[in-house]
Parts: sequence; structure tokens; C-alpha cells
Amino acid sequence: MYDCENCVRRLDQLVDKELSGPEVEEVHLHLGACGDCTRRYRFQEGLKRLIRVSGSERAPDALRERLREQLKA
Amino acid sequence: MADQQTEPAEFSEEAIGHLDALYRGALRLTRDPDRAQDLVQDTYARALRYQHSYQAGTNMKAWLFAIMRNLYWDRFQKANREAVSIDDIGEFALYDQMRDDLGEGPETEVLDRIARSEVVDAVEKLNPLHREVVLLVDVEGFAYKDAAKILEVPIGTVMSRLHRARQQLQKDLFDYAVESGIVGGGLNSRS
Ligand SMILES: [Zn+2]
Repeated sequence: MYDCENCVRRLDQLVDKELSGPEVEEVHLHLGACGDCTRRYRFQEGLKRLIRVSGSERAPDALRERLREQLKA
Repeated sequence: MADQQTEPAEFSEEAIGHLDALYRGALRLTRDPDRAQDLVQDTYARALRYQHSYQAGTNMKAWLFAIMRNLYWDRFQKANREAVSIDDIGEFALYDQMRDDLGEGPETEVLDRIARSEVVDAVEKLNPLHREVVLLVDVEGFAYKDAAKILEVPIGTVMSRLHRARQQLQKDLFDYAVESGIVGGGLNSRS
């Protein structure tokens, strides 16, 4: 089983869903037994979510209309 | 085998479908609504011109982001391209910092108290190389391999830039959290 260092090193990939199935299982095996890494994992996940929802501007309608015209041509 | 071509109307429809994402990306890159609109418009103009090089069924969003990213670097960062260096801020984890300062692991709820505008500011403060990778992976949810293609770097570079970018973000957000009193920032610890 992973130790904390190994686990922490994979947290970026875990939150980004870039680990293979067996790797995910291994990391979760450690997470299941380690509160500190679990909190760290939740925290990183939360931060990623926060970054995603923070900038959710929509394109101005005028721009959308201009582009529709441009793409029709 | 003939290349799969998309019907022009279909192409336009699909391309327009990614407008909000591209505009958001352009805003983060240029940090200016007018420049963002120009960048997006030029991106679509170029996409239209190179329509034939787009293979139907592949990732159009990634293709459009690659075009926009190249335009951005040509236009706004050409002079800086060589000069942009990545500062090594050392390992910084907001989680560790809070745990050490507060004496316990921070609850994820701390994140709920950080203003969204503050997160946007922190992202916009990143140097362009860090900003674009956060934009692609965290905001738009691109896989590492797609981000690597868009940025024309190896996957390992995507991962290391992303890691650095997140550390820088955490550092900025931590400073903000301390200044705004969201966390104690060690004021009440070990003095
Ligand atoms: Zn652990």
C-alpha cells in the first residue's frame, strides 16, 4: 500500500481523473486508511471545483450575433 | 481513405457551441473584455479559414482552443514569449499552511468563504504559461493529453506546470484568506 508521500504525489492526477483504474484503487486504499490524505484530497478537489465555477461568464449576445453572421458567409 | 469533412452549416453550429468556453478563456488570457472579444472573433475567422483541416469527429473544442492560444501568443505575448519564466515558489500547499497555522486540517468549507472574484483574480495573476494550463485543465476540463496537444508540450510539462500553478494559486488565496480574516493565519498560534 502507498505511504502518504506516494499518495500526495498522485493527488493532482486523482482530482484530474488521470489515473488508471488500478491506480485509483490503490490510492483509495490509502485514502480509506488515512484521514490526513483524505482531507487533503477533498480540499484539492474543492479548490479545483472552485476554480471551475469562479469564471463562468457567458459571451455577450452581440458577439454571438456577429459570429453567426461571420460563419454564415 | 477520404478525410471526413463536416458540412459547413454543421461546422458553424458546432463551433458556435463552444463560444462561451472560448470567451471565458479569452477573458482569462487577455484580462480585458474588448481584447477578449477581438481574440474570439479572430479565432473564429481563422477556424473558418482552416475549416478543411478540421477532422470531423475529433475534439473541436480543443482545436479551437489551440487556434486561440496561438493567436494570443502571437498577438499579446510575442515580445514576452522568450522572457516568460516560471518562478519557482517552492512547495506550497494551502492545506499544509492552514493546518500548521490553525492546528488542524482546514475544513473544505473554508473554500466556500473565498469570493469567486478573488479566485478569478488569482488565476489572472498567474504568469501566462501557468494561466493557460489552469484554464485548460481546471476550467475547461481538458484531459492532460489534450492540453498537451493544445500547448504543444509533453504531458509531463502539463503536469509540472499545473502543479506549480496550483501552488501559486493556493499561495495567493491563502494570503487573501488571511488578509480578509477567513483564516487566522497564525495570529492566534504559537506566539
Ligand atoms: Zn496518508
